[in-house]
Amino acid sequence: MTHWAWLVPALPAFAAVVGLFLSRYVPGGPAVPAIVGTALSLLVAVVLLADAESNPGAVHQTTVPWTPLDGFHLSIGTRIDGLAAVTSVMVAIVALLVQIYSTAYMAGDPRYSTYAAEVSLFTAAMLLVVVASDLFELLIGWEVMGLCSYLLIGHYWQTEGARSAAVKAFVTTRIGDTGFLFGIFVLGVAAGSFDVGQVVGRASAMSHAAVTAGALLLLAGVVGKSAQFPLHVWLPDAMAGPTPISALIHAATMVAAGIYVVARLYPVYLAAPDARTVLGVIACLTMLGAALAALAEDDLKRVLAWSTVSQLAYMGAGLAVGAWTASIYHLLAHAGFKALLFLAAGSVLRSVGTNLMSEMGGLRQRLPVTFVTAVIGAAALAGLPPFAGAFSKDAILTAAREHGGALGTAVYAVGLVTAFVTAAYATRFIVRTFFGSYRGALDVRAQVHESPLVMTAPLVVLAAACILLGAPVVPNSYGVASWLDAPTGTVPLHLDAAGVVLSAVIVIAGSAAVVALYRRRPDEDPVTVLGHAATPLVHAFWVDDVYERLVVRPAYATARAMRLTDDSAIDAAVVASGQGTSAVGALLRRLQNGNVQAYVSGLVVVVIAIVMTVSLAVAR
Amino acid sequence: MSPLLPVLLGVPAVGAAVLALVPLPDRAARWIGLVVTTATLVVAAVTTARFDFGATSRFTDVVDVRWLPAIGVRFHLGVDGISLPLVVLTALLTMLCAAYTIGTVPDAGRTRQLLALVLLLEVGMLGTFVALDLVLFFVFFEVVLIPMYFLIAIWGGNDRGRAATKFILFTLLGSGLMLVGFLLIYSGAGTFDVVALSRAHGAGIARSTQLFAFVLLLLGFGIKSPMWPLHTWLPDAHTEAPTIGSVLLAGVLLKMGTYGLVRIAVPDLPTAAHDVAPALGVLAVAGIIYATLVCIALATDPQADLKRLIAFSSVGHMGFVLLGIATLTATGIQGALVGNIAHGVITGLLFFLVGGLKDRYHTSTFREIGGGVLAKAPVLGGLTVFAAIASLGLPGLAGFWGEMLAMLGSYQPAQTLSRPLFVVLMAVAGVGTIFTAVYFLAMLRRVTYGLVGDAWRERPLRDVIATDLIAWVPLVVLAVAIGVWPKLVLGISSGAVHELLR
Amino acid sequence: MSLTQAIDYAAISPPLVIAVTALVVLVGDLFVPPGLRRAFAAATSIAGTAAALGATAWLATTSARHTFCFSSGGCSYVVDDFTLFFQVLFLGSALVVLLLSVALFADRRIPTGEYHVLLLSSLAGMLVLAAARDLLTLLVALEVVSLPAFVLVGLRRGDPRGGEAALKFFLFSVVSTALTVYGMALVYGVTGSIEFGHIAAALGQLRPHRGAMAATAAAGVVLVLVGFGFKVSAVPFHFWAPDTYQGAPVPIAAFLSVASKAAGFAGLIVLLLDAFRPYADVWGPVLAVLAAVTMTVGNVVALRQWHLVRLLAWSTVAQAGYLLVPLGVAATAHGRSDVVLAEAVRATLGYLGIYAAMNLGAFACAVMVSRRSPRGAITDVRGLVWSSPVVAVCFAFFLTALAGLPPGVAGLFAKVVVLQAAVHGHVTWLAIVAAVNTVIGLAYYLRVAALMFAGPGDPESARSARLRPDGAAAAAVALTAVLTVALSIDPQPLLHAAGLASH
Repeated sequence: MTHWAWLVPALPAFAAVVGLFLSRYVPGGPAVPAIVGTALSLLVAVVLLADAESNPGAVHQTTVPWTPLDGFHLSIGTRIDGLAAVTSVMVAIVALLVQIYSTAYMAGDPRYSTYAAEVSLFTAAMLLVVVASDLFELLIGWEVMGLCSYLLIGHYWQTEGARSAAVKAFVTTRIGDTGFLFGIFVLGVAAGSFDVGQVVGRASAMSHAAVTAGALLLLAGVVGKSAQFPLHVWLPDAMAGPTPISALIHAATMVAAGIYVVARLYPVYLAAPDARTVLGVIACLTMLGAALAALAEDDLKRVLAWSTVSQLAYMGAGLAVGAWTASIYHLLAHAGFKALLFLAAGSVLRSVGTNLMSEMGGLRQRLPVTFVTAVIGAAALAGLPPFAGAFSKDAILTAAREHGGALGTAVYAVGLVTAFVTAAYATRFIVRTFFGSYRGALDVRAQVHESPLVMTAPLVVLAAACILLGAPVVPNSYGVASWLDAPTGTVPLHLDAAGVVLSAVIVIAGSAAVVALYRRRPDEDPVTVLGHAATPLVHAFWVDDVYERLVVRPAYATARAMRLTDDSAIDAAVVASGQGTSAVGALLRRLQNGNVQAYVSGLVVVVIAIVMTVSLAVAR
Repeated sequence: MSPLLPVLLGVPAVGAAVLALVPLPDRAARWIGLVVTTATLVVAAVTTARFDFGATSRFTDVVDVRWLPAIGVRFHLGVDGISLPLVVLTALLTMLCAAYTIGTVPDAGRTRQLLALVLLLEVGMLGTFVALDLVLFFVFFEVVLIPMYFLIAIWGGNDRGRAATKFILFTLLGSGLMLVGFLLIYSGAGTFDVVALSRAHGAGIARSTQLFAFVLLLLGFGIKSPMWPLHTWLPDAHTEAPTIGSVLLAGVLLKMGTYGLVRIAVPDLPTAAHDVAPALGVLAVAGIIYATLVCIALATDPQADLKRLIAFSSVGHMGFVLLGIATLTATGIQGALVGNIAHGVITGLLFFLVGGLKDRYHTSTFREIGGGVLAKAPVLGGLTVFAAIASLGLPGLAGFWGEMLAMLGSYQPAQTLSRPLFVVLMAVAGVGTIFTAVYFLAMLRRVTYGLVGDAWRERPLRDVIATDLIAWVPLVVLAVAIGVWPKLVLGISSGAVHELLR
Repeated sequence: MSLTQAIDYAAISPPLVIAVTALVVLVGDLFVPPGLRRAFAAATSIAGTAAALGATAWLATTSARHTFCFSSGGCSYVVDDFTLFFQVLFLGSALVVLLLSVALFADRRIPTGEYHVLLLSSLAGMLVLAAARDLLTLLVALEVVSLPAFVLVGLRRGDPRGGEAALKFFLFSVVSTALTVYGMALVYGVTGSIEFGHIAAALGQLRPHRGAMAATAAAGVVLVLVGFGFKVSAVPFHFWAPDTYQGAPVPIAAFLSVASKAAGFAGLIVLLLDAFRPYADVWGPVLAVLAAVTMTVGNVVALRQWHLVRLLAWSTVAQAGYLLVPLGVAATAHGRSDVVLAEAVRATLGYLGIYAAMNLGAFACAVMVSRRSPRGAITDVRGLVWSSPVVAVCFAFFLTALAGLPPGVAGLFAKVVVLQAAVHGHVTWLAIVAAVNTVIGLAYYLRVAALMFAGPGDPESARSARLRPDGAAAAAVALTAVLTVALSIDPQPLLHAAGLASH
């Protein structure tokens, strides 16, 4: 069966081609190829998963030779293990739900067919990253995802915001991807092959320098794609895209890819502890910083964006301390509740026509389904047992405390603080959106309605997922963990009751604080209690401004300088040499003034000069 | 002894003569142009079909007859894995230009003379790639100058005269010095025969002579490529040239320089190559950074000219090709060759598209075009987006492999070269790829996206016509095909490249 | 020294035929009715030249001939491959010039008879010069070439320009000849012989030593070269050329720029290699520097010319520079070896052959254009392609050939040959100077060519601008064009002949 695995990315890719060029010939319009393609891909993925479950630990690799290369022979194909199977199922589900949801959300958009095709391509690219057996093959999916994010974030390209956000997303991730490419060079050359299996297999045999350099360079790409500090700046702006795209990017594709690649190549990171330390430090910074930024954000979607940055940092931290299974568990849980939250947010925006929570409030009666599902999602995000997020997060923190050493302690501490903040902003987002009184301009009764079934149904499905993923309380019997067949040397999934209780208390404290503030002043943003302390949060610690001053402007200045140099120095020199020659011509021409006496005497002088020199030279 | 290559050169030559001498009506001339170029492409296809992909380092369809024994020159033609892709690319691009001309002719008219010159140009380009004698190579190398000069000087933009003169004088300066280099090689090795020379690997040529000759060759090929800082003829020429002129200039003429380096300079003067390679690498990377920065400046200046931007982007892309050559590794040179092809396909397409924009908007400055091409002409806009993305080296499209292999090559350059230096060069080149993304996206943001300029809000704009698509779609397909299956090029050249470096 | 011996008339047949033809024309001009004079003169001259050409062709089939020999063994007049190569060159270019001249007498300001007689006598002088192997014969031949030329330049009645041109030409010729004669005197004084063989031997013994004698000989050698430097219009002996070409009838300018220049080279080479060979280390560097200066000055000044013939005049100065380049190899020890010197001479001869074809072609086209517009400004050729496409194409072709760029491949081969000789003789610097010069050269050749193809001419002005039909000139253009095309495809026969002539 596994030699059909190539269908997983191929089917959505094919759907994209059809949707792009032939959608007008397809009965039922562009939605049909998009949905069918993704659904079939999901089907294949599920079969692969069943296959993986039936014989755990097995790795099925199917490749064909790709191109000759001096020394190396690149081959292209699929490499299916538990991780790949599970992830591809997860990706396909979210993508399918997004496609279905979009049919209503994007209804009436003139460029819907392009949009649907691009979503299919996006899905295909992510699935390629998931199943790829060769690093360059993986890189293709990796970069095509960047392209699709660029195209989809810029979907509303009439608006300045969308245009700049699209460029920002592509360029920021591209910066990381350059490092990623060099990382591939280093590891591939060290392993003598670019085959994922070979690289992973020979990681422990590589020189310490090579493996560390490779791991760190790859990390640059991961940090970019998974929006970790310092390359996180593109993600909040990316909210300029259609909301379903946010769901896709944050839950299933783009950002998940970064974490996935680290997990996929984990033996490399096991062999490079320094790289893991760097990852851990980055994660801690990002975790708390992003959560704080989310706390002060008024734009609903940006709140969710910051929460993504923060949650991915949890996964990064988990991978840094060896909690491999826990991190993947959190990846899956996050996919569930983040997709849910974004689609819910989309449903809200569709109804009230704004992103700003200061123009919402009291929507729970108007949007019952959205409200209930959003609350479930928020609870999962906050990490309130028994929802998925809780156990996955606690598993990471437990592993950090028990096995992480000094770094682990730091992760544990920051993790708990972040848990508190997370609970706070999750609660704030529910309170500000659904409780209190409506602060917007619309006439709530007349104009605000619950979204149609095609949009609410995915919400319900995802809400169910959030509950199911969290359901089993005894984690070691937990299914996913057994399917993933974790690499040797990683910390198994493990929870202790004390840890769960502690973090539960912290979570409840966090949300209780917000609720208390709300009760005191129902119509005021709870964050105002922080007063001036909130200013750095509102500006996300001014990272963007720093980049603007230190990178962007100097770069443009240099560019202008270069252009000036080209015109006024290099080219000028060329032109001058031409004009100079011609000027000399004019000069000599003036000598040719037709004055015979001058000529003749000149001639005689020259001859005498030559004769003198020559005879003197000979005489000596 | 097969007549194929003489036919390959003869068909366009005869076509050029016919068009030049017979006073045909305009439309007839266009169709003859298309027929002749198509016939040439067919001959190229037959050559490919007869090619022995098992032994790509062996020259096939060889013609080798005595020509000018007085100065030791033979009429020696042949194709191997290095030249074959370029031959096919040349034949294809010229055919596409002829097809495009069926629908669109520059304002100056005179289609018959235009096509005659294009065909003469084709003779020169094809000849350069199949010539296996230095003097013969030089003759074909020079054949392209006069046609391209007139292409620019007659059918070009407002400043055509200056641009054309600059182009031809600058290039001739290079090729003149190059000839002296050839003669130095001859005086040492005693033959002009490319095959024998690359087999001899510089035997009989003193180190100092090699160095001198190599520098002269580098000047000649560097100006053509173009290598920073010898590039300044290129932006003007491209900006002023008519669409098909720019296409052939970027698509093929630049390749003649890098091809010459790979075919002649590196294998024939190996020790000098190793001495000069670091300098070449530095210049190449300097060119990448310099050109991409200039492109950023252009892309963010509303007054700037779109064609000029694309022209400068060529300087950057060819920088990667030169870097690949400078590594003196099979990987790097493979990268150079596939980079040649990819740049020919993608930048050729870009110039077609910019030309299409210019024909419709009657200008190519950002300000006057305004924006929102996607709204006015979706297909044209979409193709522009594709071409730009392809040109910034997105993995999965042709442009990626050239850049990647050049950098991979400089990650582990030839043993004799300083690895630290080349690793630094690789890193800097990587920064170049980021800059490339920046300016191409800035360009798209200005042109294809955004709001339609006031001047065009009401007026309708013609989207692509049939001949446009006929000319452009093959390039799109190639860009994807090579990107997904690089073996199409790498598979052909690998054997030959190893032979060169042995 | 006695000259009482049988004269080999076969050997001297070419100059003899030409001289006789000249007499026939001179006498016939008195008796032939005025209406027929032009036709008679032209026809007779052409026939005579053709006959002489036949004679050389026949001589080529026989072995080398010597006549007017000294008792000591050496001979004043030798017919070898070298001689024949030049004689064919002279006669061929004379033929073209005669064709170009046919329409010259329409305005009756140039006396037909005298014109042809003078042209033929100058030609006779050239034929002798190529065969001369002693100082006196060489000097006499040189004067026979020059004197008729002065008159030819100023022959057009009531044309002050012509007169002035002739005067300049004359003065320069006199001065340079004087210097040459002085040089010959010195050489004779040192070596005690006018015969090349002896001179070479004597100089050979002299050269190793230092001191006054050697220095005197060196001075002599250099002075002798001056006269020939003047003939080939090498800088700084070129001052006369632009003014003279511009003032003279264009066919005469063509004659001077090709035949007379070639004569200069014939004398130069035979002197340098047969007589002054031991002093190669003296004249070698001088020639190398002269070559560099000549081509550079010629090209650079040509950049700023607006008169068509004057521009071509400067271009011929530059071309003289290229022609001198191979002889510059004598500047290096390696270059002075027999093989390399022979190759150098072959290069110069090969270049001369190609140069003759392409430069005559260019002048032929210039003749046709100048008929249309006597003002002779370069801008007169603007849009020529619309009025007379064939002439325009040919003219452009010749110009590209002079520039050494395809489609004028012949010119490209010429450059290759010359540079090859230079590089092989280890004067690479000279080769590089030449390479750079080709760029400067192209700049002005191309300016003219581009003008011809510029602008879509409206049919009205095109009709008015059409060139006057001139069958003979057209024939000349066709002849040179065919020749240049042939040389572009396969210059091997010419290079082969040059090879033979250089040994």
